[in-house]
Amino acid sequence: MAARRVLKAVLVDLSGTLHIEDSAVPGSQEALKRLRNAPLAIRFVTNTTKESKRDLLERLKKLEFDIAEDEIFTSLTAARNLLEQRQVRPLLLVDDNALHDFKGIPTNDPNAVVIGLAPEHFNYQMMNKAFRLILHGAPLIAIHKGRYYKKKDGLALGPGPFVTGLEYATDTKAIVVGKPETAFFLEALRGIDCKPEETIMIGDDCRDDVAGAQKAGMLGILVKTGKYRAVDEAKINPAPYLTCESFPQAVDHILQHLL
Amino acid sequence: MRQVLPAAAVRVMAEWAKQLAGIKGVLLDISGVLYDSGEGGGVPIPGSREAVEKIKASGLKLQFCTNETEATRAKFVEKLQRLGFNISVNEVTAPAPAVCRILKERNLRPHLLVHDGLVPEFDELDKANPNCVVIGDAADNFSYKNLNEAFRVLIGMENPILLSLGRGRYYKETDGLKLDVGAYMKALEYACDIQAEVVGKPAKAFFQSALAEMGVEPHQAIMIGDDIVNDVGGAQQCGLRGLQVRTGKYRPCDEQHSHVKADGYVNNLAEAVDIIVKQLHK
Repeated sequence: MAARRVLKAVLVDLSGTLHIEDSAVPGSQEALKRLRNAPLAIRFVTNTTKESKRDLLERLKKLEFDIAEDEIFTSLTAARNLLEQRQVRPLLLVDDNALHDFKGIPTNDPNAVVIGLAPEHFNYQMMNKAFRLILHGAPLIAIHKGRYYKKKDGLALGPGPFVTGLEYATDTKAIVVGKPETAFFLEALRGIDCKPEETIMIGDDCRDDVAGAQKAGMLGILVKTGKYRAVDEAKINPAPYLTCESFPQAVDHILQHLL
Repeated sequence: MRQVLPAAAVRVMAEWAKQLAGIKGVLLDISGVLYDSGEGGGVPIPGSREAVEKIKASGLKLQFCTNETEATRAKFVEKLQRLGFNISVNEVTAPAPAVCRILKERNLRPHLLVHDGLVPEFDELDKANPNCVVIGDAADNFSYKNLNEAFRVLIGMENPILLSLGRGRYYKETDGLKLDVGAYMKALEYACDIQAEVVGKPAKAFFQSALAEMGVEPHQAIMIGDDIVNDVGGAQQCGLRGLQVRTGKYRPCDEQHSHVKADGYVNNLAEAVDIIVKQLHK
């Protein structure tokens, strides 16, 4: 049934799917080349809060992936687009490295709050500043709502807890712009002439990549690399369209069965 | 100051005042009711010192019920005495002494995320190798590093226990509104996917312990506070009556609150006490 759809686009997650930190998932550069030979649009979609597009691109080039800057769509891009649409001036609580993606956006006299992963900004004074802006009607925009992440020396709080605290204090809801939000997946298709039903997403995060994409009307392939843990595929309903070992196998499946 | 009350206000006051038969005890919130906090210890709200004396002279039982956690109860009471209030330590029900009792009963060793001034309250407790987290309004101590430490203690436990001293959203200081403990309690709840246990208003057990100090039943007591949710709503949930004063953090929109309706609204503590004492002597 699913195989009879017309496939026009493939969305690919980066970290955990094409590479893990500074090493590529074996065979994935070559698999990407094969995918490019098919009549498909390709976009790379990622929830990043620390790295700008430029940083991401640099890393991918080092790993010899053939990827262009305008093929990458990140949660920072999504936040930027939203700021431009609403014509608001943000207080940017994001990592200094991420500021590059907000170049040219006015930030004087802020009337919006953007929260990424920025431990150095999450002090009481800055949180109060954000709180007062939101209380006066500034929209709260979250790059994502991750609870925590793993650092070399242990677990560390993500942006989610700080977003949740501000939501409670101000009795408002944040606008979350990254995966697994439907708006994120739809936004990634802008500029490509295709519908969600004509798109497939490949990623290692069961909830953010696969369930999010499937909710947006796409097919989702879960790869068993990166953050994948045994039986992740059983955690979502509906189940992933397909679960496979890694990115090259996902590409093989698409080329053999979906075209 | 406003001298003449609109007729409607008098009529509303009269309504709650008619229901006062059987009242034996009064619970008073402190900050925003007795005084406004701020630089140099704060300023008494006009008429409130006399109002406290009047309650004590009337024969009514009196207990103070506060969520104050910036200093130990002893230091806090000293400050109020300096401001001219007739108040003593055992008349004050506060979250820190209450949580210390709970920690002892349950053999819990706390990791503290609180104001520096509150730490001595926990002097007697064993804090090595913690098996719970106690969070209070920590103000500048709410750094990423401190919050992360509390998070790591919780996430490392099989059944994380988070005790929160109140759950207020924000409070007012001379230089503006500030995030209260509730925002950070919610942050840790979300991070660890747990529910905190609240010690302090609006928790039922907290009101009950204040009532026990007075030896008065819920239906015989009236709570007076400036916080529509934590003072008035909390007291009503516990079976007490609740009055809101139009001082402290009061905002006019509180009188149209979506789910809490006070038994009465009064301009200040002095007015509330005048009415209550007058009714008693009828």
